[in-house]
Amino acid sequence: MENIIAQGAESIILKTERWNQPFVLKWRQSKPYLFKDIDLHLRKTRTSRECKMLSVARSLGVSTPAVYAVDLSDYTILMDYIEGTQFKQLASSLPEQQLKQFCFEFGRSIALLHMGDVVHGDPTTSNVIVDSKSKLWLVDFGLSEMNATVEMKGVDLHLIHRALETTHWDLQECMLEATIKGYSDTVGKEANESLSRMKEIRERGRYH
Amino acid sequence: MMVLYCLGLEGTAHSFGAGIVTDEGKVLSNDWDMLKPAQGGIHPREASRHHSDLGPGIIHTALEKAGITYSDIDLIAFSRGPGLGPCLRTTATMARTLALKLDVPLVDVNHCVAHIEIGCLESEFQDPVTVYVSGGNSQVIAYAGGRFRTFGETLDIAIGNMLDVLGRELGMGFPAGPIVEKLAKEGSNYHNLPYSVKGMDLSYSGMLTAAKKLFSKGVPIPDICFSVQETAFGMLAEIAERAIAHTKKQELLLTGGVARNNRLTEILEGVSERHGTKFHRVSPSLAGDQGAMIAWNGILQFKAGRTIGISDSQVLPKWRTDEQDILWRS
Repeated sequence: MENIIAQGAESIILKTERWNQPFVLKWRQSKPYLFKDIDLHLRKTRTSRECKMLSVARSLGVSTPAVYAVDLSDYTILMDYIEGTQFKQLASSLPEQQLKQFCFEFGRSIALLHMGDVVHGDPTTSNVIVDSKSKLWLVDFGLSEMNATVEMKGVDLHLIHRALETTHWDLQECMLEATIKGYSDTVGKEANESLSRMKEIRERGRYH
Repeated sequence: MMVLYCLGLEGTAHSFGAGIVTDEGKVLSNDWDMLKPAQGGIHPREASRHHSDLGPGIIHTALEKAGITYSDIDLIAFSRGPGLGPCLRTTATMARTLALKLDVPLVDVNHCVAHIEIGCLESEFQDPVTVYVSGGNSQVIAYAGGRFRTFGETLDIAIGNMLDVLGRELGMGFPAGPIVEKLAKEGSNYHNLPYSVKGMDLSYSGMLTAAKKLFSKGVPIPDICFSVQETAFGMLAEIAERAIAHTKKQELLLTGGVARNNRLTEILEGVSERHGTKFHRVSPSLAGDQGAMIAWNGILQFKAGRTIGISDSQVLPKWRTDEQDILWRS
């Protein structure tokens, strides 16, 4: 029995059952409108990258779903089903103190990745799941990378900023501040370098 | 009911345009001229010179084609930004002068917002995810909370700029986009190029460098064009797709000068099909920089009660899409 939980941009997320337990099956389908070499390359590299980075992130202290199986012939990953709600859907209904706490935790998780020279690659509030015990889980590591430079970390932070301003425009200041606090408190002094790069990146690519 | 006539002046970069649109959304005329530098890119001063030299004639032609005279104009709208400072100032000066001389209200228009709204007028879309691609911009925009918000954009150069720079390298004229599109049809061997999507943002500079390298290695130009188009448009498709999945909107609009590209259109049609959204590509005459879109946005703002005094109408070269309250939508 498989139910579609979400149709993402590059995959379908199915809830399935194995050994009497719920699991998530993430399936990267073919996109007929892409040139086939690009399509195959993306599906393959992102599937294998995601498996690897979910484990790497966990070893850095970030909660991520465990991977049970990967099939590179049909580009699927079988992983833990996390019972919870997307942070994105939760944010507007939370009391301010709790919202700030979750943002702080989100910033801390990104900091743990960055301290291990890993970037998430798509750090939006859609990719954070809050479980029933108020624990935060990071998911969707298909764009994650290792050996991250200051530039890559700056982009990661810039993406958080952008996600907050587009999706949580009415709460963006409060959320950004708490997230950055969680990030800086965890990374320490070196956070300044990535944070000032974030601001710099925001100014690029603009029509001057 | 009396019909309102709005004259819209566009001059943010290398094109100057004048268009007449009525408050019923009828485009009566839309005239423009694009500066084509003999070599190299656009020099802001030369472009502004182009606008001041040709502007009055273009405005005159637009009125003639619309079948109206200066005294019929009820409203002047101008592109206040974002864009190149000298070009914006020249255009704004013409708009202010006309508004004073004709004693009609002046409305300031955000160039990017105008591209979206003219697309909505044509497609009758209510609330689309917009892919806006041109020489200076590559953005994925959607309306949320009273503003058009940029969900994704380029982290370095715009797609049109990337194609122009590549074209210059490969010995093509300006603008290079249409030539790249034509040659790409003759290409068949795909060469791997950096595919750089970061969240809902993307980057083209790495791909441009790699494409130049292919040229110096002697890869045939059609194959380079083919590989560049497939990679660059694939990236755009992905960020559009991410924005659709994220916002759950039901319409996808393609606008801006690069919307004229048929391969990009085909790819975004595929994206629409996959997500069950409606798709519209803005027709060629309304896709690039032109005055009709400025005029139409002027009408929308005027109806929502917004005009601007001459003394407050200084240009905004860095005016971001998400910096304007969209009074006419709710």
